[in-house]
Amino acid sequence: MRKPLHPMLFAFVLLALCALPVHAGELDAFAGKTGKIDIAGGTAHIPVMKEAAKRIMQKAPGIRITVAGGGSGVGVQKAGEGLADIGNTGRALTEAEVAKFGLKSFAFAIDGVAAVVNPKNPVGALTHQQVQDIFAGKITNWKQLGGHDAAIHLYTRDEASGTREVFWEIMLKKGAIAPGANVVASNGAMKTALAGDADAIGYVSIGHIDQTIKAPLLDGVAPTQDNAKSGKYPVLRKLYMNTKGAPQGIVASFISYIQGPEGAAITASDGYIPTK
Amino acid sequence: MADALFLNGAGGGAQSGASAANRIGERAALALLSGAAGASVLCVAGILGFLAWFSLPLVFSEQGGPGQLASVISWTWQPTSGHFGILPMATGSLLLGASALGLAYPLGLGLALFVNGLGPGWAARPLSALVRLMTGVPTVVYGLASAFLLVPLVRAGFAGTSGFSWLAAALVLALLVLPTIVLLLDGQLRLVLPGLGLTAAALGLSRGQTLVRLALPLCGPGLKSAAVLGFGRAVGDTLIPLMLSGNAAQLPHSPLDALRALTAHIGLVLATDSQSAAYGSLFACGLLLFCLSLAANTALRALRPATGRVGVRVHLGPGLEAAASALAWTAAVLVPAAVSALLGFLLLRGAPAIGLALFFGDTPPLSALLHGAPVFDGLWPACLGTLWLVALASVLAIPVGIAGGIHLAEFATGRAARLAAFCVDLLAGVPSILMGLFGFALILLLRRTFWPSANTCLLLSALCLALLVLPYLVSTTHSSLTGLPAGLRLTCASLGLSRWQAVRRVLLPAARQGIMGGVILAIGRAAEDTAVILLTGVVAGAGRPGALTDKFEALPFTIYYLAAEHQTPQELDLAFGAALTLLALTLALFALARRLGATAKAVGRPAA
Repeated sequence: MRKPLHPMLFAFVLLALCALPVHAGELDAFAGKTGKIDIAGGTAHIPVMKEAAKRIMQKAPGIRITVAGGGSGVGVQKAGEGLADIGNTGRALTEAEVAKFGLKSFAFAIDGVAAVVNPKNPVGALTHQQVQDIFAGKITNWKQLGGHDAAIHLYTRDEASGTREVFWEIMLKKGAIAPGANVVASNGAMKTALAGDADAIGYVSIGHIDQTIKAPLLDGVAPTQDNAKSGKYPVLRKLYMNTKGAPQGIVASFISYIQGPEGAAITASDGYIPTK
Repeated sequence: MADALFLNGAGGGAQSGASAANRIGERAALALLSGAAGASVLCVAGILGFLAWFSLPLVFSEQGGPGQLASVISWTWQPTSGHFGILPMATGSLLLGASALGLAYPLGLGLALFVNGLGPGWAARPLSALVRLMTGVPTVVYGLASAFLLVPLVRAGFAGTSGFSWLAAALVLALLVLPTIVLLLDGQLRLVLPGLGLTAAALGLSRGQTLVRLALPLCGPGLKSAAVLGFGRAVGDTLIPLMLSGNAAQLPHSPLDALRALTAHIGLVLATDSQSAAYGSLFACGLLLFCLSLAANTALRALRPATGRVGVRVHLGPGLEAAASALAWTAAVLVPAAVSALLGFLLLRGAPAIGLALFFGDTPPLSALLHGAPVFDGLWPACLGTLWLVALASVLAIPVGIAGGIHLAEFATGRAARLAAFCVDLLAGVPSILMGLFGFALILLLRRTFWPSANTCLLLSALCLALLVLPYLVSTTHSSLTGLPAGLRLTCASLGLSRWQAVRRVLLPAARQGIMGGVILAIGRAAEDTAVILLTGVVAGAGRPGALTDKFEALPFTIYYLAAEHQTPQELDLAFGAALTLLALTLALFALARRLGATAKAVGRPAA
């Protein structure tokens, strides 16, 4: 004999279900659907993907969405090999990548990439040239930039990173990055590392900048999304979701949701500029 | 026929039918046992084969010409400009392993001497308990505690380093390999010391003199084995270098510089395009790691103690006892201090986070437990994932491992037995990241051949974890069986039991304690490993595990992920909470193993 559910418990659960935020409208596309979406790759995308996944899974308990990082290189590889349904990249795909895997790209946000330091660092402005020299290992002490007498701790990203690629191509003009730089695996990890190291410099997606890290002016221009959008701040890229061939079913719904008004609202609240 | 007669205690013609059936069952059982032993050989062959096959394109390109081997065996790692050199990583691994061993070995030797008589008797027991406790600390837990305690200390203590450095990684790796060294040396000393009492008394030696002048020289091969094992363990670890060494692909100029180990390199770069030379170079790294464990294993075999060899060294200078005593005391102070600093820090940071919200976030716990309501911002899905992972890996590994161990101990003979034993030892020394790499390559292969929808998933991770723990099961079963008193076997033979009957009715029940201990050890190892699942399907946000073919969350990965990626102080608290949870789980498992062992001993009479 099964014990009947305790009425208090039942009421509690009912109450809990009622307390879930209800988003009418765009989430209806997922109501009653089942299936899974595996997302991997670009790490700038993660906050947006996670929030969208949370809302969708609360609306449609039959849908499972997993979000993994790895970097843009992983995004291309996982989507290309079919190991993930959506592979995110923080850079446009190369022709070779499109040709080899038959990937389709869906942009949803504009995002700048900025050199960032710890908030305790008094250095508030850098020139393009200084950034290049710092990362090349030619400038090694903050004193040379008007800061404290302390060695500069360099942080960079692994080669799978789209953020690294954009920073390297546009900011560093494909110049060298000192081989002794610490390597971290994501935008989130970069932010965490810089927030804990007063003498550090690294680079992150502008969407990841908050009070725990500081972005010095670049040639007098504040690295903000608005300046990136208007073209005043030069180091920018789009964020893409990529699928192998045209997306189907709930994967297509997910992409429309991210590109739609509610996805745009999430994108904006996470600090990116929605493309639409 | 005689077998059945004695076994059943009653004679008669009716027994002959049952006896024939028994024989068939017995043959089947023996075949299964040898199959299980063969499985470990297959695993080793499979891993080696995969590594070799996937690094082949480096030697021969698709066009038939020479591959990019020259580019891989170079000092520059810059994939964006076509440089795939893995020498900095190989050197990094060797430097890390050697320095960790250099730190851990004297301390380990000191501790082993301390608990065997160089220190006061009252301190020996708690120190031994501490060392056993250290074996249960997951590497990712060391990584987390050190990243937030040791790294800032190194940063503050030395100018010009971010703290993520060779030094930080080597210090923590030394702690990681220390118990391996201490336990081996302690075991050796306990083996030789009892036999030296008379000699020592006759020569009028003190306890310290006995230890240093008589016991240690007798442990000769054991001393070297401890070094080799410690080195292998240090080189094979992934998470500590990944979290603490800074991962710069360069040759470090000082211990304060960042470096990248081979294992961390595989974990970090698996990311890249699977047909490029970067990917091929990963398998070259894997092959290199495999060769390192092969070399270590071969060295260990060469070091097997020769029987009947006795060497007593006398002329080693007068200060030897004093030096040994100083070393022992240093170790006995330093090691507990370091461990309690790290674990105390963990407790301090993690304890406030412990609570229902740690596990269930803002989801009501009861609705999560009873109705499977999705949990965000809580550890519950990761706990479930780890439970599933461990259960699946156990189901896969335990029967095969125990059967393989029985076969090796009781039935295997000749060349096949030596090969199987060699493969089991080798498998035990293979770095766990290679199991992950193997799993990942397996999926790619399956997708390209007859299972296009295969993907990294819970089942794959469990399978790779099963490979990881298999050798523990085989060797503990093997050693508990071979460690039984010889008289037991003679008794079985004199009773006329067949070898299978002897194993089933007498030897296995007698060895139950050791086998059970091995099982629990294996479960603990499966629960804590991060490197394997890193490459085979774990993700940071998957919710509760749905199906075997789904991605999943797991506690050790959650710790690793949040340590690097926490966006708020609350998320970091979650990481410390997760670390405490995992630590409590593994320590409980080890305690259980000891308790089970003890109770099993009390009732462990052979039941014929």
